[in-house]
Amino acid sequence: MTPLEVAVVGFLLGGVFFTFVTAVGVVRLPDVYSRAHTASQTDTLGAGLTLVAVALVLGLETTTVKTALLVAFIFVTNPTAAHAIARAADEQGIEPWREDR
Amino acid sequence: MVVPVGESVTLRQTVAYAVREAVSGDGADGGDDGEPTVHFVAPVAWHDIGDVGVGVREETEELLERVAVWAREDGDDDLAVETAIIGAGEYLFGPDDYARVIADYAADVGGDRVVVDPEYSPGGNVPILRPMEAALAERGLVVEEAPVDRPTRRGRLLRGGGAAQFATLFGISFLFYQLLGGFSGKQFDLVTGVASATLVAAMLHRITFTDRLRLRTLGRQLVRLVAYVPYLLYEIVLSNLQVAYVVLHPSLPIEPRTTEVRSALWGGMPLTLLANSITLTPGTLTVRVRGRRMVVHTLIPAAREGLFDGALERAVRFVFYGRPALAAATPRERGDARIVEDEDDADAEGETVVTGAPGGDAE
Repeated sequence: MTPLEVAVVGFLLGGVFFTFVTAVGVVRLPDVYSRAHTASQTDTLGAGLTLVAVALVLGLETTTVKTALLVAFIFVTNPTAAHAIARAADEQGIEPWREDR
Repeated sequence: MVVPVGESVTLRQTVAYAVREAVSGDGADGGDDGEPTVHFVAPVAWHDIGDVGVGVREETEELLERVAVWAREDGDDDLAVETAIIGAGEYLFGPDDYARVIADYAADVGGDRVVVDPEYSPGGNVPILRPMEAALAERGLVVEEAPVDRPTRRGRLLRGGGAAQFATLFGISFLFYQLLGGFSGKQFDLVTGVASATLVAAMLHRITFTDRLRLRTLGRQLVRLVAYVPYLLYEIVLSNLQVAYVVLHPSLPIEPRTTEVRSALWGGMPLTLLANSITLTPGTLTVRVRGRRMVVHTLIPAAREGLFDGALERAVRFVFYGRPALAAATPRERGDARIVEDEDDADAEGETVVTGAPGGDAE
């Protein structure tokens, strides 16, 4: 394998790892608020590392710029959506889960 | 008589009206020695922070000078004209804050009458004039709006759009279009780019920029925003690893707590950037934003500590206000961060925050 391929595989594995963590987290965590925390892992590093791998494969091209823009837009839309869900939950009066109650 | 002033289309008429009223003086004005006095005051928020603030302060001083010149033109020799910048050392956010500093000033000079410019909009993009008038009246002042002919009555979202706004938005849209096309320079891309950028700018140039456009400031903020991204990425990676650890840990060692943080940030964009950055880092999640008070859900103690230490807040301050804003106390040191023990607690606290906003946190 060339160094580039090693890097690409490394980033892909990283992306898969954090996406996997999110899947586990959504199942294991107790309530809507804490699940929202882990969901942002997929959106940040899961998608981020995968798209870095994509950009590396593509090399210097117009499409690479679009890949970077994709990450930028995910970074804007993910927190907005997460906030909307959390706020909706708060307005419904859902109390956050606590380990001591 | 106290007249709060700010940049507005009907400012000149308001000044003329206030002077006329003061000169015709029916005893309602506040001159303690019988001599009519008009006080023009300009409430300014957050002008002492960074390079944005300096500009704001200078502009406000210029505005007051202009107003004073107008007032002397209109008035006779007996009329005393005073100008002042008020609210400088304080945090002005809502209508109550503005009413408070105006009322304090009025009390200092012994005035009991306030003339308000109907197009005056102290809160920038937030319409707070009416509630401010109500709050002033509650404080025992006589409030009246200056009768002016309004050239235009704009809608809520539409601020004064101008050629500069149009050109800026057109430029941004056009560059973005070319970026997507890979800067091919083909005639087709250029023509369609101009067409779509014109369309975008025509539709949105009155909405996109809520404040007056300051290109130099905007440029500096963009440069600092670029410097902010790597730092944000670092924070994201760090907190991702922490959260991955607790999620995969067999005993799931989480300690979720709702916290409340009052940020030392001013205005819509800085707060949005901070709230989104907080949500973007796993372990902290912005649930509500009321004014500058943010309710943040935190998953693990490490994330909570990071939030209370305010590293992200400081970085966002740097993006918008420049290097001087870096020297700020952390939310913990300011006493602006706490864990909310139950929901009712959070709501009750919200009411006291507005009036009790500490002035000492701006430095």
